[in-house]
Amino acid sequence: MKTSFVFSGSGGQGIMSAGITLAQTAIMMGKHATYLPEYGPEQRGGSAKCTVVISDEPIISPLPLRCDNLIVMNNLAYNKFEEDLKPDGVLLCNASLVTNPQQRDNITVISANVDDLALELGNPRAANIILLGILIGATGIVSKEAFQKSLELKFGSKAPEILQMNLAALDKGYNIGIQHKA
Amino acid sequence: MSEKKFMKGNEAIAEAAVRAGCRFFAGYPITPQNEIPEYLSWRLPEVGGSYVQGESEIASINMVYGASAMGTRAMTSSSGPGISLKAEGISYLAAAMLPALIVNISRGGPGLGSIQPAQSDYLQATKALGHGGFHAMVFAPNSAQEAVDLVYQAWDYAERDRNPVLVLMDGCLGNIMEEVELPPMKELSDEDLPEWSLTRRNGRDYQGNITPIYTEPILEGINAMAGEMYKAWEEEDVKVETFLLDDAEYVVVAYGIASRVAKEAIMELRKEGFKVGMIRPITLFPFPKKVIHDLDYTRVKGIIDLEMTIPAQMRDDIALQVMERCPIHEYGRSGGCLLDDEGVYDAIKEIVTGGVDNG
Repeated sequence: MKTSFVFSGSGGQGIMSAGITLAQTAIMMGKHATYLPEYGPEQRGGSAKCTVVISDEPIISPLPLRCDNLIVMNNLAYNKFEEDLKPDGVLLCNASLVTNPQQRDNITVISANVDDLALELGNPRAANIILLGILIGATGIVSKEAFQKSLELKFGSKAPEILQMNLAALDKGYNIGIQHKA
Repeated sequence: MSEKKFMKGNEAIAEAAVRAGCRFFAGYPITPQNEIPEYLSWRLPEVGGSYVQGESEIASINMVYGASAMGTRAMTSSSGPGISLKAEGISYLAAAMLPALIVNISRGGPGLGSIQPAQSDYLQATKALGHGGFHAMVFAPNSAQEAVDLVYQAWDYAERDRNPVLVLMDGCLGNIMEEVELPPMKELSDEDLPEWSLTRRNGRDYQGNITPIYTEPILEGINAMAGEMYKAWEEEDVKVETFLLDDAEYVVVAYGIASRVAKEAIMELRKEGFKVGMIRPITLFPFPKKVIHDLDYTRVKGIIDLEMTIPAQMRDDIALQVMERCPIHEYGRSGGCLLDDEGVYDAIKEIVTGGVDNG
């Protein structure tokens, strides 16, 4: 089983970091994963996109045209990549910034105001982790425990409150995600 | 003893180089290869090596020339535009018969092109890395793991031949993160320094590793030796992967990232009964001539040259072996538009079902 994810938004929204952390978690669970970043010459504000492929088998091509799961952080990304989502795919929107999702009846749409939820946690930079929490809850692609371990590895060397905040962000998203689990 | 890591192709190349004994890097930044110098900037000092961000590409390649003359395993990396700037120095390395590793993580061209991945430097890599008619052995890995394995061997070839080795990989593979198994650190001592190195003078008063202008007929003899070496590579050093060739009626020729997308498409097409196979050059120079030449052309109906560049650049090398025994089709994307599974599947299918003839 090969599953593909496209994370998209603008530079600075934690798109690349989200993709890497998901792929690393999959590998930690004994799966195979590839992560491919794509970005323009801009350091901030331009389009940011990464493709993650997760599979139980070794991955041959890391370049799917269309994805099973599309995660969009803003309108720019939505407009650019919406058509890359496969029929029966999952569209996960940051409703704080994706204001005009069109209705497509052959996909599952999950919307959450992750920017606002991150502000509630006291750190706008946690929006991407909330979004990943929703994704993990809704798809079960990796376990919550394995993802917690990834966050511990990622933030373990930083101040403990940063790790705690990210774990809280994961919980917040996960609890939303499981309500959408198929 | 080995260890598995989740690494970018660029970082994997850098770590493999260190483990292969590289102790000198000089380069100048350019996307999409910046993770190589970034990584080596902290990693080389850890192992007692030297990292220099040069003031230019030209300065950098000449520092590699100097370090190599001392017998140090030295490398540089860049992308197409920067490799063009280094062309003079690479030619000088070949003239001086000095080993080095040159890495090109290629992007769209010509000119400044684009910063997005493309396989646009095949001709530069295989035909003329610089002036003067020399060649470097060219490795074209198609995964981070294969990049590690080839970089780990690079100086073994470069020192054996006293000639630079080029690793050519597109920006896609440079930036993809995937699992790699890293080999152990090669522990090299002064005893391992090449006999010709300036560091190891062996009692000689003089050792000239920086070549002057030659007077005839010395250069002619050196040129002839190089010619013999390239012929020997063709006999001994070709690396190639073949995939489902035995009954193939259509044969895709693809290297690097294109070969991975092709393989996925071929597996799908096989399920539908289409007899498609693949030849993947791993060394682009020496080119795997024989396997293409020796295909059974009473069965093979067409060759498909698949590259992430337009127009295809391998075509002439393929054509010299096919010798008009079947049509050569081509499919590619370029200019920052990447090959993808569906596009390649559709393109191959259209060719094998007779939809298109680019021959």
